[in-house]
Amino acid sequence: MLESSEKTELWRQMLRIRRFEEQVIALHAEGEMVGHFHVYIGQEATGVAVMAALTPGDMIFSTHRNHGHYLARGGDMAAGLAEIMGRATGCNRGMGGSVHLADPTIGMPHTSGVLGSSAALAMGAAFQMQRQGARRVAVAFFGDGALEEGVALEALNFASLWKLPVLFICENNSEGAIGAAKGGYPGSIMGTERLTALPEAFGIETHALDGTALDTLTPALRDICARIAAGGGPVFVEANTPRWFGNQGLWPDLACGPLDLGHAQGTVPLPDGPDAAWFTTHDPLLRGARELLAAGVSQAELTAIDRAVVEEVAAAADEARRGPFPTEAEARALVFAGGEA
Amino acid sequence: MTGATTFRDAVRDALAEEMDRDPRVILIGEDVGPAGGVFQQTQGLYDRFGPVRVIDTPISEAGFVGIAIGAAMAGMRPVVEVMFGDFLTLGLDQIVNQAAKVHWMSGGQFRVPLVIRSAVGVGGATGPQHSQSFHAWVAHVPGLKVVYPSGPADAKALFKAAVRDDNPVIFFEDRMSYGAKAPVGGPEDVARLGESAVRRQGSDIALIGIGRMTALALEAADRLADDGISAEVVDVRSLRPLDVEGLTAALRRTHRALVLDPAPRAYGAGAEIAATLQESAFDWLDAPVGRLGMSEGPVPFAPALERLVLPDATRIVQGARELIGR
Amino acid sequence: MAELDQKTQLRLWRDMVLIRAFETRLQTLFRAGRVPGLTHLCTGQEAVAAGTCAALAEHDMIASSHRGHGHTLARGTPPGPVMAEILGRATGLCGGRVGSMHLFDAERGNLGTNGIVGGGVPLAVGAGLAARAAGDGRVAAAFFGDGALNQGVVLECVNMAVIWTLPVLMVCEHNGYGEFTASDEVTAGDIRDRLAAYDLPVEDIDGMDASVVFETAARAVARARAGKGPTAILARAWRFSGHHAGDAQDYKDDAETKAWRARDPIERLRARLEADGVPAADLDAIEAEAGARVAKAARDALAAREPDSAQLLQGVYA
Repeated sequence: MLESSEKTELWRQMLRIRRFEEQVIALHAEGEMVGHFHVYIGQEATGVAVMAALTPGDMIFSTHRNHGHYLARGGDMAAGLAEIMGRATGCNRGMGGSVHLADPTIGMPHTSGVLGSSAALAMGAAFQMQRQGARRVAVAFFGDGALEEGVALEALNFASLWKLPVLFICENNSEGAIGAAKGGYPGSIMGTERLTALPEAFGIETHALDGTALDTLTPALRDICARIAAGGGPVFVEANTPRWFGNQGLWPDLACGPLDLGHAQGTVPLPDGPDAAWFTTHDPLLRGARELLAAGVSQAELTAIDRAVVEEVAAAADEARRGPFPTEAEARALVFAGGEA
Repeated sequence: MTGATTFRDAVRDALAEEMDRDPRVILIGEDVGPAGGVFQQTQGLYDRFGPVRVIDTPISEAGFVGIAIGAAMAGMRPVVEVMFGDFLTLGLDQIVNQAAKVHWMSGGQFRVPLVIRSAVGVGGATGPQHSQSFHAWVAHVPGLKVVYPSGPADAKALFKAAVRDDNPVIFFEDRMSYGAKAPVGGPEDVARLGESAVRRQGSDIALIGIGRMTALALEAADRLADDGISAEVVDVRSLRPLDVEGLTAALRRTHRALVLDPAPRAYGAGAEIAATLQESAFDWLDAPVGRLGMSEGPVPFAPALERLVLPDATRIVQGARELIGR
Repeated sequence: MAELDQKTQLRLWRDMVLIRAFETRLQTLFRAGRVPGLTHLCTGQEAVAAGTCAALAEHDMIASSHRGHGHTLARGTPPGPVMAEILGRATGLCGGRVGSMHLFDAERGNLGTNGIVGGGVPLAVGAGLAARAAGDGRVAAAFFGDGALNQGVVLECVNMAVIWTLPVLMVCEHNGYGEFTASDEVTAGDIRDRLAAYDLPVEDIDGMDASVVFETAARAVARARAGKGPTAILARAWRFSGHHAGDAQDYKDDAETKAWRARDPIERLRARLEADGVPAADLDAIEAEAGARVAKAARDALAAREPDSAQLLQGVYA
């Protein structure tokens, strides 16, 4: 069991991600950002737990679903929103947008939108770490779909063969949909009953964990990362998270409204209907809040934390809005290292 | 002619008609089945033709493009969809080293009657890995055919031609044109590959457009007309085979040409067309063949910059004037 | 396992002997500088080709690898056109323009040997997809080596063959080497697990025993034709020859070589046939016939003209 104070802090980090993503959805609804985007709602515990296990020199490689990773790793919130809104003050200077949030200063050098890439990139970083004798970890985040891409499997082979210090985190948010395409959009299409059979086939130490349970996830990941950094070879973790109902369609949809702590505090009746389980069981923020309350943290404290987070997000959005759009000259200057070819 | 149909639906209808006509035509791709395609471009096909002929794939471009090639060699006439043109790279080994060469390598024993369709183009802030168009790359490979329609009618007629062709055809669909509406042809209105089309007659300069650039060229032609400049607009439609005769004829009529390509200028399709024209009609030229293309860098996500990536009507007018001024 | 009937065993032996004679002759021609480019011989691996192809029906299909002379001959293509193709003569299977790594024979359902490692796998799986769509009961066999199991696209195709229940045999000729590197050095985990991770049966067999290969393949073919989907066959074998015909094989261990040579599939089956009462003279006659066919193929090929310039661009497009 995590110490109450630590768990509260981790929960706060999860909350920052949740309120951030709700803000992104609102910005899109109001036309302040354009383009497709993917939110990390429902998966916050996994990202936060992984980052809690890393040290400053470690590196992470994410996917199109990267906002949670960016924030949990310490990415500047305003720079993140600015990037999503295409401003020159964004972490990628407005060049990449939601799909490509990155920041080398937090050990998140590049985020690719092509599935399977994160595994290959992490492997490359790990290769260099190993050569330098650094006791560090390269983390590859990806979803259950990425194992359909051949390059991800090739990465597993290399990582295992050369005992590279890689942590593969497969955030499986299609629980119940493995093995055949099963309704919703989209399910994984994999000819294996157990996704973990694939990394096991490459001789990689593999774990399947509950991606929403901070108490078990955090210490497990700490132990795993310590062993990887010490040269124990790669580890594959399948973190299972129930799919957020707002991810059913092509675009994220905040159909049941933003997070309401009252659902955990017992001051607001729980919704019924097809998405009831989200509120009673699946939402990691509500789950975490309930656990903290049961451990003696007061409702007032949680509410205060939430208020501060909401203010932080609002301030970040304002700052992002003030950022100028990038110029053509700025874009051209970035094409080649060392200026225009 | 049937009523006004969107570009998106025109291709869908063409595919449905071809699937009705020939049981060997099958559709393979990501989310093409019950989901109806990420751009709703295959809506209704799964319900109509079922899971044996409309096949959802895992995210395995190399694998399913290769599988489609094998299916073609074994008697099917597959249509494979690669979700974004940028992801053609993942299947490029299959396309270049297998599909393009099988007929030649086997001495004619095997054909690859395959269509690879892909949504391409700049717009919607999709960013650097979701905005590219590699038509020049594939047009550079002998054994492949490359088609790039500009509007719904062409989309339908050229798609049908692609399906009926016994060679691998890469069919590029500008997704920003998906909503454009126009009357389209019927089930037996099948275009011929290798033909360009004159969209507007003129005498002072030929604006040669690929895909979306054709519509922009028409806009530019209107503005040039206000200044007394008569611009002809030619729609390339087919990159390989290229309508050398048609393009040369346009140049003979106008003596000047400006090629408009929705891809980076350097080493692009415009370069091929310009070189071909100066070879075939050097004595008819009153100015070098000009080329306008996309900016020479990754496509930015930021809308303010994304807007600047492709030449607009203003830049086309400017480019035309510069050639006429010579 | 019940003993395979003698007729089938003789057929297997005849096919293997032909392949051995062909490859041996080719090795000689290569050393004499008569073979343009590179060629990859399958000496020692004949049982996998003969056993698998004997289990296929006439209308079934195969796709092969860069080491595919055996598959091509076992499928029934006569040695003459194959030899001529490898030697780059106009009488070759594909006009002499493409050589050893691109042997196509549409009449015998051979989707080609392939110059890309793993290149034949998507093609065979695609042929399986076509068979399922047409409902014609055909089966397709993909031949690839252990090295190909490190190619992402091969695993992508195993996955798709499984999820679509395709009538495919995935035949991995595990000969312990990817070019000049031992398989163990480049393949993490247990190679069988790589296939077994997917929901298909994996038959891990002695690839130096043609009868075992045949029976395993026959079971897999029956499964496929019954609509039960793909089977992976991990046939453990060993190539006596180098990666390519000019390879000096310095990377192979002498003791290892000796051990595998003692399991020569042709000598093993010969011993069994003789023990079952087949006269040695009959077997000698089969060998002699194979030798004669190969000798004629070589003579004819060497005497044939090379393709002319008009053939350079013939058939780029259908």
